[in-house]
Order: sequence, then structure tokens, then C-alpha cells
Amino acid sequence: MFAVINPYRDADFFDFFSVLAQRFFQGITGQIRFQDLASDEVQILSLLCLCIASAPLGFFLVYRKMTMMANALCHTILLGMVVAFLITRPSVSMTISSGAILSPYTLMIASLITAIITTFLIQLLVQKARVQEDASIGIVFTTLFALGVVLVTLYTKNLHLASEAIMGNIDALDKDDLVLVGGVALFSSLSFTVFFRGFRLSTFDPLFSSAVGWPISFLSYMLMAFTAATSIAAFRAVGVLLVLTFFVAPSLMARLITFRLRPMLLLSFVLPGVISTIAIALSRHLLTVYNAPVSTSGLVVSLFGLCYLILVLFSPYRGAVTLYIKKKMALSKQ
Amino acid sequence: MSGSLLSFFTDPVLRAPTIGSILMCITSSMVGVIVLLRKRSLIGESLSHASYPGIVLGVIIGSIFFSPYSSYFSLSVLFFAGLSSLIGLFLIEGLEKRLRVRDDAALCFILSLFFGVGILLASRIQTTHALWYRQVQSFLYGQTATMLDMHVYIYLALFIITLLAILYFRKELQIVLFDRNFGKSIGLSVKKVELVTTILTVMAVVIGLRCVGVVMMAGMLIAPALSARFLTKRLSSLFWVAAIVGALSGFLGNVFSLHLPTLFSLGHVALPTGPMILLSASSFCFAALLFSPEKGLLKRICRAYRFRRNCQMDNFLKYLWKEGGRVVASTPFLSSSCHIIGSSRFSLMHRLKRKGLILIWEGSICLTEKGRQKAERIVRLHRLWELYLVQLGCSKDKVHASAEEMEHVLTPEIEAQLMRMLDNPEFDPHNQPIPKTL
Repeated sequence: MFAVINPYRDADFFDFFSVLAQRFFQGITGQIRFQDLASDEVQILSLLCLCIASAPLGFFLVYRKMTMMANALCHTILLGMVVAFLITRPSVSMTISSGAILSPYTLMIASLITAIITTFLIQLLVQKARVQEDASIGIVFTTLFALGVVLVTLYTKNLHLASEAIMGNIDALDKDDLVLVGGVALFSSLSFTVFFRGFRLSTFDPLFSSAVGWPISFLSYMLMAFTAATSIAAFRAVGVLLVLTFFVAPSLMARLITFRLRPMLLLSFVLPGVISTIAIALSRHLLTVYNAPVSTSGLVVSLFGLCYLILVLFSPYRGAVTLYIKKKMALSKQ
Repeated sequence: MSGSLLSFFTDPVLRAPTIGSILMCITSSMVGVIVLLRKRSLIGESLSHASYPGIVLGVIIGSIFFSPYSSYFSLSVLFFAGLSSLIGLFLIEGLEKRLRVRDDAALCFILSLFFGVGILLASRIQTTHALWYRQVQSFLYGQTATMLDMHVYIYLALFIITLLAILYFRKELQIVLFDRNFGKSIGLSVKKVELVTTILTVMAVVIGLRCVGVVMMAGMLIAPALSARFLTKRLSSLFWVAAIVGALSGFLGNVFSLHLPTLFSLGHVALPTGPMILLSASSFCFAALLFSPEKGLLKRICRAYRFRRNCQMDNFLKYLWKEGGRVVASTPFLSSSCHIIGSSRFSLMHRLKRKGLILIWEGSICLTEKGRQKAERIVRLHRLWELYLVQLGCSKDKVHASAEEMEHVLTPEIEAQLMRMLDNPEFDPHNQPIPKTL
């Protein structure tokens, strides 16, 4: 996997960034080839690609109130992965970790089929059986997830696959996984650039956009497809459930800073990227200085939460503390 | 097999998990009814994921101070899980009310955030305290195999508290769940009742975590309540049916999680109880969905099919009547003139003959007296409705389509009303005579 000694070994937080900067310049000037990427850098790149893929997607999911559907999809994807696993490699020994076995194409197809099945079942319950939407989402995804867990346990005799899917296994990230995430990021950014006006219009004024001619259901299905694709591309990096933070948190954070669409989108690309890099540096720091290996995915999500808290307090327009200070200053001027 | 089923309640190793699961599932199911009626089913999902960091803390603190099999350990886990859920709930409310975040985005955010924090904490003990980590993981998918009798007492106490709370507040619950504004208008403290339901939800989620697990808790709140909803309408019956379905799922889940691996000849595999309980509950829900006497899917499909068949019969009788009561029974003639496709022709004729509405005699189809009366009634309703619409202001050429649909559904009461309103008319808008009743 990684032949050379990891240059980030024994680096604490600030050394991490200096090594990173050094290697970045070396990479640009051509002294380091793609094959020589250290594992930490692969992690950073995967997370950055994930941020790129999930920023616009998450924005539209939040503003279309489809986040719970995305949550459902992220859970049922486990079943898709397990079935793909069973169909393509039933004879392979089950004790080794999953990611080395399934090819990216299989994963993509599995995720898309799962997305279709999940959406279909939920719509069936809502329309034919007249079940309320939140209940139908809840029951469909928990049932499919339970099926997935049962299959995993019966065929692999333990729950490592399921746990790995939920929590990710970022230290086992390989350059091949980077290809998957990068591919999804690229494809999704292209699609969102092309269809941006359609998404924007149909999110904020669905009647008008359908009147003008944008195909609404196609756009919705596209969002769901990208949710599934991003989720499964991220399952190695952060696990399928924590991808939800990447979807939801950037929009919420950007909303605290600005009201306008383009700055919001820009912030939702930049902020998560910065936080992810800091998280990986921090994880390396904790490993080096305190000898405490922690889950990087958990660390990333916790840092998202911390950043949100900071923004809630100190955001320039809406932060609680800033407003308090402004009020105090206005009062003291009188 | 039946002998071994009873052993689930008598065998000292099996009886604690079984009874404990049943109690936990009954509690969750009953509270699930309240959550379903408030249309906030997905809050169970957020609360269960939000309790994960609390579980990790509870396991750590419990393991430091108590022995892992004592009841204090369970209490510690329950306490911290509940605390964590409450904090998550508090944050969700804060996000929705103060920061004006949409409700589903708030739920998703807190869900994934707290879960991530929990994963962070769990990863810290993953390598250093493997036993603690395994115990934490058992709460992820539910594992009751290590339950002892003393744990059952804790869950029994919690079940009784929940039951008493629901019984005590049942009148207020009824009002607040079904007609909130009425509750406000009579001075009921709606906020207090909603606070009670929120606390009950947190309790139900935390109680059920051990047997169903964090990830699948939401389904356990929804599935029994949904099954009950398909089968009954009254609030007290909803609680009963949900409790029964919950209890059965808890029991069957335990049975399957123990026996299924042996069925697949996999030896001693620890199948987590959570998924099996949930799958049992979902099967009940699915069965209720299909076979429910009122709202069931099968019933609805049958009803729709029967209605379409009746419409077909009515249309054919109408056609016969307009042709003078008698028509040559030849295939191309029939299919071209009244759009009856070949395959259904036979069953249609057969049905009409069996009901005594037509006669087939010497190669032609005739209306019987009974058939003629029915046909006249249909035509009558059709023309009355057309007249009614024209009187309301529709133009003459647009009323036919609506009348074609309404002629099958107008009841005798509506017919009488129409006759009164239109003043016993003789002719319809197209100047065709309206047949008289007898």
C-alpha cells in the first residue's frame, strides 16, 4: 500500500502543516509522484473531494426538506453493499475487510439500485397505503437496514462489515478509494454546474420551474442518486452515517454567516475543507503526542459541531455574542 | 419446538432476555403510538442516535465504579443515555426555534453530530479497553443475551412508570393529540402535556436501546404503532394493539435471534436481537397493511376492482337500453359499438346473466325487466346530473363526462334531493326524456 515511511509520523499539529506545505510544493514542482502520497494526504484528499461532492448536494437537500430521505438512503445503502458483496463474491473468505473486495463500479451500481428501491418503497407506502411520510421513511429504512445487518451476520459471522460501513475505516483508505471519491466529486460538480439553474429554481419556486419546463421529478431523482453515490463513495472515509454531517452542516454554517446564495455555496465548499484538514492534523497530533488513536471520522464530525457552535456565538451578523456586544456598545454610546 | 418456546420463559438463562425484551418493546410501542399521532416519528431516530455518546460515557463510568453485570451498571448507562438524548432534544428545539433551522435539517444535524461524537469517544476506548468497547457495540444493534434477572426489575419499573403516566394523562393526551386548538381553548396546558410526551419519548427510546439498538430504535417506535393504526381507530385500542404487537415482536425477535443461526447451520453465532425484533415488527406491520379490514391494501384493491366491474356492467345495461332492449350477440358488433374488449366480454355477460339482468336467447342479448329498470335508473341519474350541472352554469357540451362518472355513484337520497331541487324535470339539457321512477 504505502511503501515509504509516512512523513507525518511523529508530527504534532503544527509540524503537520509544515510537512504538508513542503510536500504540496514538492508535488507541484513534480518531485513527488501520485504514487508517493502518504496515507494522511490520501485522507485529506478524500475528505476534500467529499466536501466538494456534498456541498451543493447538501444545500439542495436541506432547502428541499429531503434530509430525512437522505438519512434513509444512507442507512439502506448497507443492504445494497451486502447484497452486492454476496452476489459478486460469494465464495471469498469473509474475514477480510470489505473495501478491498468490491470494485468501485459494483459499489456505484449497488448504491443506485438501493436508492431506487428505497425511494420506490417509500413512495409506495405514502401514495398507495396512505401512510404519513415520516412514518413510511422510518419504517422502510429501518427494515431494510435490519435485513442488511441480518445478512451480514449470517454470511460473515460477525458485524465488522456493518460497523465499518457505519463508522468508516479511514486508516484503511487506499489510493483506489481516492479514485472513487474523486470521480464522484468530479461528476457531481459537473452535473451541479450544468443543472444549477434548474435546481435553484425548482427548490425555491417549484410551480414556476415546472411551468417553465424544468423536469422536477428528474431533478429530485438526480439528487437522490447523488446522495447514494456520495454516501457509498464515502463509506470508507467517514462511514455512511457521518456523511449526513457533510450534507447538512455546511449549509447550516453558511446560513449563519450570510443570506445570499453564492457566498453560501462558496462557504459550504471552503469551510468543511478547512475543518477536515484541521481534523486530520489533530488526529495525527493526538496519535503522536498523546498516543491516543481516535476515529478521524468522529473527530471531523465533532469539529463540525464545534465550528457550528463557534459560529452560533461569534458569527458577524447573527452570533449571539456579537449581537450582545453590539447591543452593549449601542447602549454605552447613549 | 413448542416445548422449547415455553423454555424461553422458564430457562434461567433465557428468561431474563425474553421478559426484558418484551417489557422494553411494550414500552416503546405504546409511546410510539403517541409519537406517530403527533407526526413526529423521526424524532425517535434522532434521539436514539443522540444517546450514543451517553451510552459510551455510561459504559465507561459504570465500568470504572461498578461491576459490569450489576444493576448499577445498567442504571448508569440508562442515565447517561437519557441525559445525552435530552441534551440532543434540547438542542433540536433550540435549533428549530432560535436559529430557525428547518425541522428535518435540525434532526439530521443533531443525529449525525452526536453519533459522530459517540464514535469519537468509542474509538478512544476501542484499543485500550476492548471489553468496554464490545459492550458499547452491543448497544448499537441490540443484544439482550447478557441480561440477568435484576435487569428485568429495572425495566419492569420503567414500564410501570410509563404505563401509569399514559393512564394518568390519557384524557389530556386524547385532546392534545387529536385537537390541539380545542385543548388550548378549554384552558388545558398544552405545553405541559407536550412536555410529558417528549419526556416519555426520551424514556421509551432509552429503555429500548438495549434490546433494539441505537440504529433501529426508530423503527421500533413506528412499526407497532403503524400496525395498530391500520387495524383500529380508537386511541385505547391503538395502545392495546401496539402493545401486543410490540410484545410479540420482542418475543419472536429473541426466538429468531437464537434459532436462526442454527437453522442456517452456522453454529454459535451471536445474531443481534435488534434487527430480528424489528423485522418481526415490520412483518406485523406489513401484514396489517395488506389484510386490514378497513384500510388494508388488499381490501382497497378488491374494492376498486369491484367498483370498476360494476361500472362496466352499468355501461353495458345503458347501451342495451338505448338500443331498445335487444342486441345481436356477435363479437365484432359488440366490441366496436360499446368498447367491450374480447376477454372481459364473457365474464361480463355471465355476471349480468347471473344477476338476472339480461337474457341470452337465440343469438341475441335481451334486457330483462329487472335489467331494464336498472338501466333506466342509470340513465335517469345521468340526465338529472347533466341538468343539475347546466343549472349551475356549465355549458351543455361539457357535462357529459362528469355525468358518465357520477351516474354510478349517486345514491337514492341524492337522487331525491336532485328531483326536489330541479322540480321534477321531464327533459335533460340535450332534450332527451328523463325516465320516470316507478
